[in-house]
Amino acid sequence: MNALRALRTRPMRALVRDVRLSGLLNTGMTQSYATTAQSKPALPPGSELAGKSNLTAKIHEKLKIMQYKHNKIMEQMTGDISGMEREDMARLAKEQSSMGMIVVPYEHLLKLYSELIELEQMMSADDPDLRRLAREERQEVLENVVTAENDIINALLPKDSAESAGAILEIRAGTGGDEASIFCGDLLHMYEKYAQLRKWKLETMSMDSEGDKIKEIVLKVSGRGVFGVLMFESGVHRVQRVPATETQGRVHTSTATVAVLPHAANVNIVIKESDLRIDVFRASGKGGQHVNTTDSAVRITHIPTGISVENQQERSQIQNRERAMQVLRARMYERERSRLDLERRASRNKLIGSGDRSEKCRTYNYAQNRVTDHRINFSMFNIEGMMNGTALQIVIDQLRIQHDLDELASMDNFDDISPPNQ
Amino acid sequence: MPRSVLNNTVVPLLRQLTKKLGPQQAKNELRWMADHVRKAIPTKLTAEHATSARLWRDQPAPSAEETEVASKRFSSVQWAWLRQAVHDRVETNKPLQYILGTQPFGNASLLTRAPVLIPRWETEEWVLKLSDMIRAENTGLLNILDACTGSGCVALGLACALPRESVHITGVDVSHDACDLAIENLLRNKKAKQAVEFQRLDLNEQGVASELKSRGMWDMVVANPPYVTPNEYAELDPDVKDWEDVRALVPGDPMDVDQSGLSFVVRLAQLARELGLADGESTNLPRLVVEIGGAHQVDGARQAMHDNGFNLTEVWKDMAGIDRVVLGYHKT
Repeated sequence: MNALRALRTRPMRALVRDVRLSGLLNTGMTQSYATTAQSKPALPPGSELAGKSNLTAKIHEKLKIMQYKHNKIMEQMTGDISGMEREDMARLAKEQSSMGMIVVPYEHLLKLYSELIELEQMMSADDPDLRRLAREERQEVLENVVTAENDIINALLPKDSAESAGAILEIRAGTGGDEASIFCGDLLHMYEKYAQLRKWKLETMSMDSEGDKIKEIVLKVSGRGVFGVLMFESGVHRVQRVPATETQGRVHTSTATVAVLPHAANVNIVIKESDLRIDVFRASGKGGQHVNTTDSAVRITHIPTGISVENQQERSQIQNRERAMQVLRARMYERERSRLDLERRASRNKLIGSGDRSEKCRTYNYAQNRVTDHRINFSMFNIEGMMNGTALQIVIDQLRIQHDLDELASMDNFDDISPPNQ
Repeated sequence: MPRSVLNNTVVPLLRQLTKKLGPQQAKNELRWMADHVRKAIPTKLTAEHATSARLWRDQPAPSAEETEVASKRFSSVQWAWLRQAVHDRVETNKPLQYILGTQPFGNASLLTRAPVLIPRWETEEWVLKLSDMIRAENTGLLNILDACTGSGCVALGLACALPRESVHITGVDVSHDACDLAIENLLRNKKAKQAVEFQRLDLNEQGVASELKSRGMWDMVVANPPYVTPNEYAELDPDVKDWEDVRALVPGDPMDVDQSGLSFVVRLAQLARELGLADGESTNLPRLVVEIGGAHQVDGARQAMHDNGFNLTEVWKDMAGIDRVVLGYHKT
């Protein structure tokens, strides 16, 4: 878990850029909260000393409001509590703790800002020893500022509980015939190796393949935080190379589609038995003792939504049924989740995350040894490392940075920054 | 024989299987055969052999990637098995379950061996449905007789799907081969050890009912009896006809001209009455559960049950929509 946290916050740290000392420090300090409340929202004093950060003025406004609300709740809780109901108390306590997760680092941040102001004054003192001391302390304070801002951002970003669960990974060959199927196999190899590195468990739910050529494969990936990492893989992966099946050495372009669904192991998706139609879709005549077929293919159709899943992976129809139900649950959960997601962020132009499955996401150009992710316009010149699974982490890191920035930016536009829901 | 690299490829095997089974099922069966051969004939020694062979010739040992790729390939012994398996499957119509030797059934894993009848998925389906019913009722210990048990699938399927101390099942069969196989399956599925026993018994003999009755109270008779009619038998696939015991498929003796295929169902209904299942207070559970061959046998089976005191009968369809099970209740 700590390693994952480090993975997330490491890129964030890089975002807080250079310190800019402006000569207008003194004037900035004299502004107070009261005077700026009526005019456009401003940053708290001293924040400009910390350099450019991701917390814009609007976010600071919202945080101030949250701090005010938090203080009111604290007053209520420590004041006269005799008249309150038990459930009111519980509700207040819950609100206080969830708000506290944002407000406490925020208050810490404000304190750090005021420390920065003092240190500035010390920096222009006469004593050289004092100046040196001030400079060292300021370095430390700046690092603490970065940490506090990261804490606030982490607490503010909406947490998708699906991100911490496992995922179901579907890889399908697109255009390109045999070459596309071979590329599917290569992608599968990449994900297998990557999963090995991350110590995740892979299980094949269903596979339609001939040797190395895979037309379609559905995998279940189990581990912590799997979906949060793999969700950026959804989309169309394009490869440009000379195929193994090519006789004349021309470069071909083929595609493979990857879809990643959250695997909701214990999410409350209610699927009514009566809504399902289960059939063996290759029933042969009399059945029973008349035939000893090995065909145990099962198809489950969810009638209201029309989602249907087939499975013929195992030799027992009950095992096939179980697997098909798992995939059905995942698809229904994904449908529900993306519907909610869409409603929640209707006006935002979401680049990545659980984006549209038909959009081009990545190009693998073997001739130039280049992998380009189109959503963030990021290129890397290490195809072998990529297909080995070792370099995939780099691309995912970049995608995650962009994703978090987008989310943060979207919060700036909305009027509701709510405390994180556990 | 010349050793050519092309002797051991998957494509000719797939082609042979496709002739018999069609493309999709051919792929599935080849995959299952491949999975089986990897487990049944392990290749651990091949890797060591390859390493020592290389070192003997003063060549560098195979790298980690090479060994990984090589471990996915089949050894020559495994290829030989695969070629033989596909040959048997295609040329002699040997059922896949006999080639692999096992068949999953509910929570149990059963051995299969010619000529004992291979457990069917329709049987698996109703056995699990019945076990859900029994579990929901949650009565005390049920004494169940599993007639024509064959490989023991019904008995073991029920026992593995139900909690301990909820059922005691006695499986009987006229065939010695079947009983031997059933006992092997009992040893293989330890979960059922306390709950199941098997015995060789001919239910058409005189005095069988009283002998069984002397052992104690019976609560239920379940069976997958032979129900193929003599006419149908002639039309069956060679997969079934050439390999599975005719006594497990076609009921009755040679003197019997019964074309309905129901003679054993009738016998079971009589046996159930003789065991006292048509008396006593009514319960929510059926007393007699019998698998049949389809809609053409529903009326005959229901009639036989009614004639023997089971005044309420029910019919279950399987997932292919065919009438598969007839259940007889005794309601007062």
